Amino acid sequence: MSNFEDRLLSALKEEITTRKAEHMMTTVTPAPGRSRRRVVGLSAAVAGVAAAATAAVLAGGLLGGPAYAVTRGADGKVSVEINTFTDPEGLEVALGDAGIRAVVDYLPPGQTCEKPRGEPAGDTAGRFAARIGAGKGGKTLTFTIEDGQVGADHTLVLTVSKSKEGDDKAPTALDLSVVKGTVSPCRAVPLPAPTGDGTTKGQDEGPGFDTSTEQPGQGPTLDSKTG
Amino acid sequence: MRLHEDPAAFEAFYRRHVDAVMRFVVRRVSDPHLAADLTADIFLAALDSAHTYVPGRGNETAWLYGIARNVVSARHRQAAREARATGRLAGRRLMDDDDLARMEERIDAERQMRNALKAMDSLPEGERAVLELVAIDQLTVGEAAQALGIRQVTARVRLHRARRALERLASPSAVYLEGQA
Repeated sequence: MSNFEDRLLSALKEEITTRKAEHMMTTVTPAPGRSRRRVVGLSAAVAGVAAAATAAVLAGGLLGGPAYAVTRGADGKVSVEINTFTDPEGLEVALGDAGIRAVVDYLPPGQTCEKPRGEPAGDTAGRFAARIGAGKGGKTLTFTIEDGQVGADHTLVLTVSKSKEGDDKAPTALDLSVVKGTVSPCRAVPLPAPTGDGTTKGQDEGPGFDTSTEQPGQGPTLDSKTG
Repeated sequence: MRLHEDPAAFEAFYRRHVDAVMRFVVRRVSDPHLAADLTADIFLAALDSAHTYVPGRGNETAWLYGIARNVVSARHRQAAREARATGRLAGRRLMDDDDLARMEERIDAERQMRNALKAMDSLPEGERAVLELVAIDQLTVGEAAQALGIRQVTARVRLHRARRALERLASPSAVYLEGQA
């Protein structure tokens, strides 16, 4: 019979395997030809993804391509690309390796984490941009964190409500914010109904985004484009 | 040690110590969910630090208790995230109702030890750390020294001072600790 100790052992062994795989896959340079990404109406805060990519970490199932990629450029910018909303812990680890403390939660469709998760980081966090709709099938989530944007006592909090269609589809909602100090664990609550306040909604049947950042105007900028 | 590379070696290590680690945790926290998280955190931290363990130079238990102490005190300082910037595996998500009940039993069983630990709060940190590992966690002085990264003679001196200080307090738990040591 399985109990906590057994499950923890399995999880830890999985962790060993993941770490070994990540170790073998370090130093991957992003493939060229990503110019097909069109970015619509992004704020000036959007960073040009660093050309000189170093130490990208790719992870995920071998069949479906990497679940995510975290790339730290020579200029200190960290680019994140998520293809599949699986393995949140792995993404946290990859971000941690890139010098960014992060809490990532992927929730089932229709759920999100109860807010607030902690003290908003305030204006030191600046702004960063996320976009969905790049990559194959227009479902990849990407965002870039400027050097120093997530400070030493800050944590990047990414909360994603997955699509009913599957883990690799554009999420129904996402929330990206920066919290100062301790982040409380995710307590799943029903996703609030869309308010229709026009926050960066896609043109047509695109996903809706909850862009509230626990402090208006300080959080990340989201921009959506449906592929 | 190749713990972090060899799942089979890790499994053997885990099975040797998981009970002691859980006991270590529930002597220090009384929330079952937090206890599950900390148990997971301690083993993750052991994976992170596996390269620092040299078999033959000191003992495995002492090494692991040193890590456990850091993880738990980091959590107490609410700086857990700094301490384990490289990983997170939420232990609490691995618990079902039975596990929760078992964890609560463990926590109840160690109430006396938690009270004893509280009685040591007034001691200077260095002294308290040695006494804690020797009296509460039943390590030898040598193991406690290794866990804390101090020399054995230093550990002995601190232990002696800690006991004397507690004697002066003459609280029931101090007497209890004296009996244990």
